[in-house]
Amino acid sequence: MRNLKRNRIYKVTITLLLFLCAGSFCYSLEINGLGKPMYMKQCSSCHGDKGEGVKGEYEEALFGDWSLSKLTRYVIKSMPDDDPDLCVGDDAAQVAKYIFNAFYSPQARLRNSPPRIELSHLTNRQFRESVSDLFRQPASDEPAPEPGLSASYYNSKGMNKKDSLKNRRIDHKIDFDFGSGSPLEGVKAEQFSIAWEGSLRAESTGFYGLRLTTPNGARLYLNVNIKEGDKNYRDDASKESNPPLIDAWVSSGNKSRTESARVFLQGGREYPIRIDYFKYKESTGSIRFEWLPPNAVWSVPTGDQLSTRKGNQLILAKTSFPPDDRSLGYERGSDISKEWLSAVTRASLDVAEQVDSILGYISGVKSKDDPQKSEKLISVAMKVLERAYRRPLTEQEKEQSIGLIFADSESPEVAVKRVVLLAIKSPHFLYPQLPGGKTPSYQVASRMALGLWDSIPDDVLIGAASDGKLSNQDYIRSEAERMLEDTRARSKVIDFFYHWLDLDLERDLMKDDKVYPDFDEYKISDLRRSMNMFIEDVVWSEKSDYRDLLLSSHIYLNQGLAGVYGKSVEGDEMKRVDFEKTERSGLLTHPYLLSHFSYSYNSSPVHRGVFLTRYMLGRTLKPPPQAVSFENQNLDPGLSMREKITHVTKDSNCMACHEIINSLGFSLENYDGIGRWRDTENNKRVDSFTQFETRAGDLVNLRGSRSLAQFIANDSNAQKNFVQNLFEYMIKQPIQAYGENTVDDLHAYFVKSNFSCKGLIVEILCLASTKGIKQEES
Amino acid sequence: MNELSRRAFLKDLGLPASALSFLYGLPSLQAQADSSPKKRLIIMFSPNGTLPGQFWPDASGEDFILKSIMEPLAPHKDSLLTLKGVHNKVGGDGDDHMKGISCLLTARKLHRGNIQGGGHTPAGWASGISIDQEIANFLQSRKETKTRFGSLEFGVAVPNRADPWTRMSYAGSNKPIAPIDDPHQMLQKMYGQMKDRESLVSILDDVAADLKSVSLKLAKEDKDMLEEHMSLIRQVEKGLVEAEKESSTVHPQPELDPNIELVNDNTPKISRMQIDLLVNGLANDMMRVATLQFMRSVGQARMRWLGVNDGHHSLSHKPDKDKSAQDKLLKINKWFAGELGYLCKRLKETPEPSGEGNMFDNTTIMWVNELGKGNNHTLENIPFTLLGGGLGFKMGRSLHLSGVNHNRLLMALAHGFGHHIKGFGEHKLSEGGPLDLA
Repeated sequence: MRNLKRNRIYKVTITLLLFLCAGSFCYSLEINGLGKPMYMKQCSSCHGDKGEGVKGEYEEALFGDWSLSKLTRYVIKSMPDDDPDLCVGDDAAQVAKYIFNAFYSPQARLRNSPPRIELSHLTNRQFRESVSDLFRQPASDEPAPEPGLSASYYNSKGMNKKDSLKNRRIDHKIDFDFGSGSPLEGVKAEQFSIAWEGSLRAESTGFYGLRLTTPNGARLYLNVNIKEGDKNYRDDASKESNPPLIDAWVSSGNKSRTESARVFLQGGREYPIRIDYFKYKESTGSIRFEWLPPNAVWSVPTGDQLSTRKGNQLILAKTSFPPDDRSLGYERGSDISKEWLSAVTRASLDVAEQVDSILGYISGVKSKDDPQKSEKLISVAMKVLERAYRRPLTEQEKEQSIGLIFADSESPEVAVKRVVLLAIKSPHFLYPQLPGGKTPSYQVASRMALGLWDSIPDDVLIGAASDGKLSNQDYIRSEAERMLEDTRARSKVIDFFYHWLDLDLERDLMKDDKVYPDFDEYKISDLRRSMNMFIEDVVWSEKSDYRDLLLSSHIYLNQGLAGVYGKSVEGDEMKRVDFEKTERSGLLTHPYLLSHFSYSYNSSPVHRGVFLTRYMLGRTLKPPPQAVSFENQNLDPGLSMREKITHVTKDSNCMACHEIINSLGFSLENYDGIGRWRDTENNKRVDSFTQFETRAGDLVNLRGSRSLAQFIANDSNAQKNFVQNLFEYMIKQPIQAYGENTVDDLHAYFVKSNFSCKGLIVEILCLASTKGIKQEES
Repeated sequence: MNELSRRAFLKDLGLPASALSFLYGLPSLQAQADSSPKKRLIIMFSPNGTLPGQFWPDASGEDFILKSIMEPLAPHKDSLLTLKGVHNKVGGDGDDHMKGISCLLTARKLHRGNIQGGGHTPAGWASGISIDQEIANFLQSRKETKTRFGSLEFGVAVPNRADPWTRMSYAGSNKPIAPIDDPHQMLQKMYGQMKDRESLVSILDDVAADLKSVSLKLAKEDKDMLEEHMSLIRQVEKGLVEAEKESSTVHPQPELDPNIELVNDNTPKISRMQIDLLVNGLANDMMRVATLQFMRSVGQARMRWLGVNDGHHSLSHKPDKDKSAQDKLLKINKWFAGELGYLCKRLKETPEPSGEGNMFDNTTIMWVNELGKGNNHTLENIPFTLLGGGLGFKMGRSLHLSGVNHNRLLMALAHGFGHHIKGFGEHKLSEGGPLDLA
C-alpha cells in the first residue's frame, strides 16, 4: 500500500520534472541523484556500468519502453535477481529512476547515441531491380494488352509443318484435353499445331518452377526475344532459334509426360513467353502448362497472371548474394564483405553475358556489317553508364570511361561488355547516397527512385531532373504520385506489408490433419492470395485508409476457402465476402495471419501476443530470460489454451513481459489454429476479455478482436509505429536521423490526411528525397 | 602463400575446389600417378554421308593410298584405320537420317514417337545408352580411371532444338544428352568463372579511381566502409594478376576470342576453339571420353568459307552426275577431314602429363557419319575411320569387311577399354562379338 502510494508520488514527480525541465540541467539532476551509487553498488556487476550488459551475467543491454512505474514495480519484485528483497521501496524507486533516465528509456537511448544517416550500398533487392532497369527498353506501341495469351491454331502437314493458320483467339489458360478430337472448328483432329504468345506476370521474386504436361510435343520459351526458328514452323528448318526453357518436343509413344524447369524471376515484372504445341497422328492430344511461384503450389497460370503483351527479354541479376543485414529490422546494405563483393563481380559478369546476347536488339545493330555499328554500340554504352550513375556523364567521363574502353578493346561488342562491368561495379552505382557527381536535382531523382521503386530513375524522372523541375516541392510531389502508379511501387509496397506483419520469414503452415483435416497446401496458397488481395484492395483504393486494414470486415474467398470459414462461394475465383464486424477485423483476424501465429493443433496466444506487441504496437520485447517450450501434452487436456498459457507463464520473472503479451494474445482466442471463429473450446465458453496496460500506464479493456482492432487502429503509438516502419522500409535509414521530430511530424500529417497510406508514402518520399539537399538556383 | 591466395581467389569466383588440381595439373597436386597410360576415346560426327568413291582406299591392308577426302589425314596415315563394310542394320522407326544419328552410337531401335521425318514411320528418342556413355560409365566406376566429368559432349553449329536429328549421345532410353556448342559455355563448365579475367582487370583501375574520388568528405565510419571496399578490390586485382602469371606455366586455359558470335560464318573458328578446349580437357584429365558433333543429321550448313553457298543437305541429294554438286561435297567433306586432322595434330603436340610420349598415342578417335552416302540414304558402309592408338588396335591399314553390323565395332571399342560387354544395342545384331581389330 505504502509502496503503491510512493510509486504514484514518484511517478507524478518525474512526469512534472520531465515536463518542466528541458536540457542537461534537468538530466544531470536525474542521473546524479541517489539512484546512481545504488545502481553501481547493486546492479552494475550484472548489468554493466552503463547498462550495456556483462558477458557471463546478464548479457542484454538494458533498454525498453516500459513505463517508469512498471520498471519500478519490476525492480521491487524481482531485482536483484538472487535476492529481490534487497532492493525495495524507496531504494527501488531511486534505482529505477536512474536506470530509466540514464540509459533505459527511448529518449535516453537517442540521447546517448543519436542515429545518423549511414553510408550503405544497394541492398540485394535494390541491386537486382536497378540492374534490370539499366537495360529497360521503351514499351512498344502494341494495342492494349488483355489478360491471357494470344493463341494461333494451325493445321499441320508432313513433317510437323505449321501449314495453315485456321484461327486466332485469346486463351486464358493452357489446360486442354482434346481427346482424340480437334481443338477447334476447321482444325483437323489428326494433326495440328498451336502457338501461344504473350507475357507471364510474376508477382514475387524468387525461384519459379514451370512445367508442361503432354503426351504430344511442346516447347516453352521464357524471357527470350523470339527468333524465327522459335516459331517451329517446320522440324527440319535451319532458322536460328533460342534454346527453349523446356524442350518436350519429342514424344516416345503417346504416354503423358511432364517436363519441368526452374528459373529465377524478379517480382513485379512481365516476361515474354511462347509455348508451341503439336499433335502428330497420336491417339490423344492434351497439354497443360503450370507454374510454381515462390510460397505457392503448382497451379495453372490464368487470366491476370498472363498478358497478351509481347514485351522484351529482361536482363536479370540471377546469381546468388549473401543476405542483407537485418539487425535493425529493415534490410540494409551495410555489410561490406568479400562474399558481397564476389557476388557483385559474379553478377556483373553474368549480366554482361546476357547483354551481349541481346546486343542486337538493344542497339538496333542489324548485322555485323552495319556501318553505324560503332556509333550505335557507343550510344548503348553511354546510356548504360548514365543510368548507372543516375546522371549525365561529364565530358571527361565520356572520354575516359567510354572513349578509352572502346579504343582499348578488340571490338565494340567487347567494349560494351566492359562498360557494363564498370557500370555495375562502380561505387557510383553501388553507393547511390554518395553525391558521386550528381547535382541536387539528380540526387533528388536518385533518392525518389530508390525510395519508391528500389531502383534507378526512369527516363521521365531524369528528364524532370535535367529540366530543373525537381527543385520545386509541388513538382516533386506530383512526380511521386506518378511513380506510385508504377508496378515497381506496388511490388515494393506489398513486400513492405509482409515485412510489417512479420510474414516475410518462411514458416511452416501445415497443420495437424487430425485437428484440421481440410487445411492443405492449396488452402494455404489461396489464403496468401486472399491476404494480398485484401491489402491491395485497401491500400490502392481512393481512401487508402490505414484504419481499414484493421477494421474492414471482408475477406476474399473462393469456394474451397469459403467452406472452411463458414461462408458460401461458388467457383475457384476469389470473391469479396462480408462478415460480421464482431467476427472479422481486417488483417488481425485474417486466417492467413492467424495461421502463422498458431500451433499446428491450436491457437498460440503467446505468438499472437508477441506479434501484436512488437509489430502492431511497436513495443520493445526482450527474449525470455529462460527458453521455455510449450509442452501441451504435459498439461491438463481439459484446460483451455488461455488457462494453459496463464499457468505456464505465471512466474513473476515471466510475468514482467507476459503481462503485456498475454493480455493482447488472449483477445484473439476466438480464433483457432487456422483462424476459424470459435465460441467454445473444450466445451467451455472462450474467454477473450482482457485488460491491457499501455506504455503510459493506462489500463484498457479489450473484449475480443473488434475492440483489440479498434484500440490498435486508434492508438497513436501504433500509428507512429506504422509510420516509422514504413519510413525505414522505404528509405532504409533510421527515421530519427532525419530529425528527432520526424516521426511526430509525419504522424501529424498521417492523421490530417485521414490516415491515407498512399498520402503517407508520398509524404515520406518527398521528405527523405530532399533532406539535406541544397537546391541550386532555378 | 601464392597457392593460398590463388585458392581463396578461385573459391571467391565460385570455382569448386575440385577444379583446382585439374586446372593447375602440377605433378604434386595430381592423384597417385597411374603407371599404365591413360586410354581415351573421341567420337567425331559429320553429317549427310560421304562420297564413297573419294573416300575409301581401293586396296586393303597396310599398303594403301589415301583418296582426296582423306588427304588432310596424310600426316597421320601410320595411325589410321579405315573400316569399309560396316553397316547400320538397326532398322525400325524413324527416317534414315534419324536412324543415322540416333541409332549410330546406340545401335538399337528408336522408340515409336511423334517426330515425322522425310519418310518411314514417326519416331521418338533412342531406346538405350550410347557407346560413349557406356564406356564413360565404365571408366567412372573405377578409381584409377575416374575423372571429374567422365565425358564431355562438344558441338559445332548444333541447332537449339532437341529432336532425334540433333542428338547422338544418350545416357539411356529417352535420355538424350545435348552437346554444348558454345565455346564460352563449355569454358564456363570446365573452368567456372575464370573467363573475362582481362575485362575485369581492365576496369578495376576505373573502379578504384571512382572509390578514391567519392570517399572524400565522409564521416569516419563511412570512410572505413569504402576503405574496406577498396582493399577488397585490390585483393581481387592481385589475385587476378597472379593467376594470369601462374596459368601460363602449365596446361593453360585456352584463350578464347571473347567476341565470337555463334553464327554460321564463324564455324571454322568455333570448330578450332572447341577442338582446343577438348584437347585441353583431356590434357588436364577432366574426362577420358569426348564427342564432337558437327551440326546434326540433315545438317544444312552453308559453308561460305569454302566458297560453297548451297546448303549441305541439299547438295548431298544431288545425283552423282551433277559434277558441280559433287565438287562442292568434296570440299565439304575434305573440310571435315581437315578438322579431324587438326584434332590429331593438337593431340600429337600435347605431351602426356606423365611425361611419356604424346596424347595422340593413347587416344582413339573415331570419325563417324550418319549415312554411307547422301543421295541414296544408305545406311551401309558407314564411313567409320579410326585414328590414334591406345586400345590395342593395329593401325595404319585399310580394312575391307564383309558387311558386319556396327554393333560389333562399338563392342570392340568397349573391349579395348577393358569393358568386356557381351553385346551392345540390339542383341541379335551383336552376334559374333567384338570385331577383332588387333
